[in-house]
Amino acid sequence: MAQVFKPAANTIAKLAVFGGAFFLALAVWSLNEFNRSQYMTRTKVAREQPVPFSHKHHNAELGIDCRYCHTSVETSAFAGIPPTQTCMNCHSQIWKDSPMLEPVRASFASNRSLEWVRVHDLPDFVYFNHSIHIHKGIGCVSCHGRVDQMNLTWQQSPLQMEWCLNCHRNPAAAVRPREEVFNMAWKAENQEELGARLVKAYNIESRDDCSVCHR
Amino acid sequence: MSRWGMVIDLNRCTACQGCVSACHEENNVPPSTPDLSAMGRSIRWIDMMPVQEGEYPHATMSVLPMMCQHCEHPPCIKVCPVGATFFSEEEGIVGQIYPRCIGCRYCTTACPYTVRQFNWFEPAVPETYLEGTNPDVSRRYKGVVEKCTLCHHRLQKARDQARAEGRDLLPGEYTPACVEVCPTDAMVFGDLEDRESEVSKKSRSKRAYRLLEDLGTEPKVFYLREGNRQ
Repeated sequence: MAQVFKPAANTIAKLAVFGGAFFLALAVWSLNEFNRSQYMTRTKVAREQPVPFSHKHHNAELGIDCRYCHTSVETSAFAGIPPTQTCMNCHSQIWKDSPMLEPVRASFASNRSLEWVRVHDLPDFVYFNHSIHIHKGIGCVSCHGRVDQMNLTWQQSPLQMEWCLNCHRNPAAAVRPREEVFNMAWKAENQEELGARLVKAYNIESRDDCSVCHR
Repeated sequence: MSRWGMVIDLNRCTACQGCVSACHEENNVPPSTPDLSAMGRSIRWIDMMPVQEGEYPHATMSVLPMMCQHCEHPPCIKVCPVGATFFSEEEGIVGQIYPRCIGCRYCTTACPYTVRQFNWFEPAVPETYLEGTNPDVSRRYKGVVEKCTLCHHRLQKARDQARAEGRDLLPGEYTPACVEVCPTDAMVFGDLEDRESEVSKKSRSKRAYRLLEDLGTEPKVFYLREGNRQ
């Protein structure tokens, strides 16, 4: 009877053992990468909105402060989506016949809110508080990116827990002077030195207890 | 660092269950039904535990408000395979993160006080309750374990407020719902680390005892024995 396994079978068996381990590692790695990929986090994808609102135009070009619309950002957990009245403060005078703004006028006339699509949507089991971050000197730009350069708004940061913890474990890397929080273009000359100083000055505790965000 | 703890004076407690109602309201604990109760599947973060001491004719009966004892050495944490239950080193609070829980129920078994409850069914929340849901507390779902968290969302809120104002948390700013409503002030809450606090003083009273003390879990809920001893 002829041999079932030819001498080459030894090589194939060895390759299979090595290859198996390799494929397992590859599978784990690719799952990991997939989970952090842009496809999963939906970063840098502009969402479709009822009105193509441009932060770049309103903030950078016209110089309207973040807090003109996001009024409660300094005092509450929620930064606040402006009521249609805020839009109409200006748009009852300028661009008042623009067809693009028809949904705004319709909303104002019918007394029903515009239904904006939420761009930064955290899972419901995460409790994020804007005001405390503002008070401790974390700039808008640290999480939201250069919103003032975005014609249509997209999500800049992955908003995954790993990303939150990066900063919570080392706040010195992101903290800035309180007066520069709303300045989108500000950059520290020496973040390391400044961060360490501000962490002390603002009494920032590096909090990474689960209950800080999950309740 | 703080060690949040509680003293329950059984001389004062009338077992009115105000704390139970307050806890249900505050923490979105769904109301039980007779069916669930019959199966022993009702969820309660705080409950009244009747304890009989002595034999007839010298028997006495007391009712202990029973909730998570927030042990300093919690047995539940050692057995959790996924880190869904955790001990906060800074606060001394035993917490639970529902999205991480896989429902293995090791912790409910490990807990010597049997105060952890498993959601065997999708919580039956009546329609009318939904409007009154507390937005600060996540609602649980079928397949996760839940328990008293000492209302730690209140701690986070109070602390955020204090830190935004650039000061330390003042005593009395953080109080769990059960303590807040207690009509006879039987429950006292505060920082056990602070030796001047009322809760710390009371926890050193001669009447003070903790449940199953010999297990070495070092609970942070103290009970003051009924009687006249000071």
